[in-house]
Amino acid sequence: MTTRFARIVWFVFGAAAVFFMLSPLLLLVLFSFGRNSLASFPMRGVTFDWYRALFANQDFWVAFQNSVVVSLSVGVTSVLVGMLAAFAFARMKKRRAGPLLALLTVPLMMPPLVLALALFSAYAALHIPLSVWTVVPGQVVFIQPFVILVVYARMADFDESVIDSARDLGASPMRAFLTVTLPIIRPTVIGAALIAMALSLDEFIITYYTIGGGLTLPTLVWGMLRRSLDPSINALATLILIGTLGATMLAIRATRYRG
Amino acid sequence: MTASAATAVASRPQADRPPLVRLRGLTKSYGSMVAVKPLDLDIQSGDFYALLGPSGCGKTTLLRMIGGFTEPTAGTVEIDGVDVTRMGPERRPTNMVFQGYGLFPHMTVRQNIAYGLKLAKLPAAEVETRVKEIIGLVRLEQLAERRPDGLSGGQAQRVALARALVMRPRVLLLDEPLAALDLQLRKAMQEELRRIHRSIGGTFVFVTHDQGEAMALANRIAVMDAGACVQEGGPEEIYGAPRTRFISTFIGEANVLPGRRQGGRVTLEAGGSFADAGADEAVVVVVRPEAMALGGNLPQGAVKLTGRLADSVFLGPYVRYRVELPGGGEIILHSQDFALRHRLAVDDTVEVGWTTDVQRVLADR
Repeated sequence: MTTRFARIVWFVFGAAAVFFMLSPLLLLVLFSFGRNSLASFPMRGVTFDWYRALFANQDFWVAFQNSVVVSLSVGVTSVLVGMLAAFAFARMKKRRAGPLLALLTVPLMMPPLVLALALFSAYAALHIPLSVWTVVPGQVVFIQPFVILVVYARMADFDESVIDSARDLGASPMRAFLTVTLPIIRPTVIGAALIAMALSLDEFIITYYTIGGGLTLPTLVWGMLRRSLDPSINALATLILIGTLGATMLAIRATRYRG
Repeated sequence: MTASAATAVASRPQADRPPLVRLRGLTKSYGSMVAVKPLDLDIQSGDFYALLGPSGCGKTTLLRMIGGFTEPTAGTVEIDGVDVTRMGPERRPTNMVFQGYGLFPHMTVRQNIAYGLKLAKLPAAEVETRVKEIIGLVRLEQLAERRPDGLSGGQAQRVALARALVMRPRVLLLDEPLAALDLQLRKAMQEELRRIHRSIGGTFVFVTHDQGEAMALANRIAVMDAGACVQEGGPEEIYGAPRTRFISTFIGEANVLPGRRQGGRVTLEAGGSFADAGADEAVVVVVRPEAMALGGNLPQGAVKLTGRLADSVFLGPYVRYRVELPGGGEIILHSQDFALRHRLAVDDTVEVGWTTDVQRVLADR
């Protein structure tokens, strides 16, 4: 009986901890549907007004468009470059690949603020005008390592003899890549791309410093917060949350181990 | 050398024709490490050819150079009179069965086998007939729609074989084809490989570290050691007339007795001596266990040693004796004189011996 009691206690404790951590997110989603203009209880009914207000806001559509452009560009760029890098690392001896990987993943360990300031000063020093197109390379620096790590993990235990087999049966190196390597690692690549896009979609600090006058969804939230506590911010944040979670869940599904 | 054991040379009906595979000065080094020393080798059309050696002797590197997967540091590979040294594997008339099989996990057995033919843009009808034919040859009819992860080791092996054979290669290369299989399956696959080689009459070159496998399959064996081919010949020749001490113990069992040649007479450390022309130097005398005789069976003029019978084991077709020599060495001896076994007891002092026509005297380097 004590074990059963212990199990219940652990369950309650775990549930409380999870609830404590997730409750701000739940509240945010909840209030985005509330009739109150301030985030407070009691809620006076359910409404889609805040979403309507958000969709009527011109800035939202500009930011939405920019976010889509940035995430797609970051997703595609970091996957293409990251995949090539991961291939190269996978062919190296582990002893040599290790330190290089560590070097490439330094941006992951640096405070994003430092990275953002560095990028900002670099762009200024090079007289590159800030725009959406300065955000993309900035984010790639930060997000790229995730892709490299994910694809490298897959390539490290990749059976090279399938490539030899394909070559042996008449495939050029390119053809072997397209008909054998890529189909085998496709789930991993798709997963890595989705993770990159999810990270890009809610990236704030680097974007904020390198976008100049433009807006993405996270910088729009920031701007709106400074003016008011409009619940349409909750609506916007809910949409970002859904986008990020959706991409991540798809990524997990895509890269799931299939034995 | 009293090398009269060099008797049978494997039959090579086409030996007068130009070789199908001709390697000249083929070398591979990685930095200062030499994997394959400059090597000449001829493989005739129709050969079932074994590259035999312990692990790390360079045999797989050699096979990969023939297949085009490893670029040689120097030398040339010629197949069918064409210099293919600088060609990638996709342009060579060879196909390979890889040690890990290298099956495409995202394709069915049938798709795996059809892959090469489709790349070659053969008409769909021909692809289908050839795939069907080869699936029949390796007996995979029941498994054609399975994926590789649903196959056992032996089945995967046959798919890899079919996938290479369906291309009708001039030379089929096999890298340790049976190493991953258990003993039972290995015996069955050996028979299978012999059957397939007979029925399609192609040229097979395979790498193995298992001398039994080389003997069982090949009509021609190149023994490799430390990056060099130390002997090349038919199985009988290599077993009967090993050229070095390494080969004599690597291929089958052998007694290796150290001694010295002085003034045309060899004296063994364990006692015993016989006349043998040659330079004054340290030598080893190699005698196969089945060529030794024991006790009253010693023939006239045999080289004789005296020792203590340490062990005798009845093994069915023969009795295996172990005789310890006073100097610390020992002699292994196989005898089919079953009656003798009952007249001998362990710890008896016995005489062992052999006639000089069954021994090989090799310089001890």
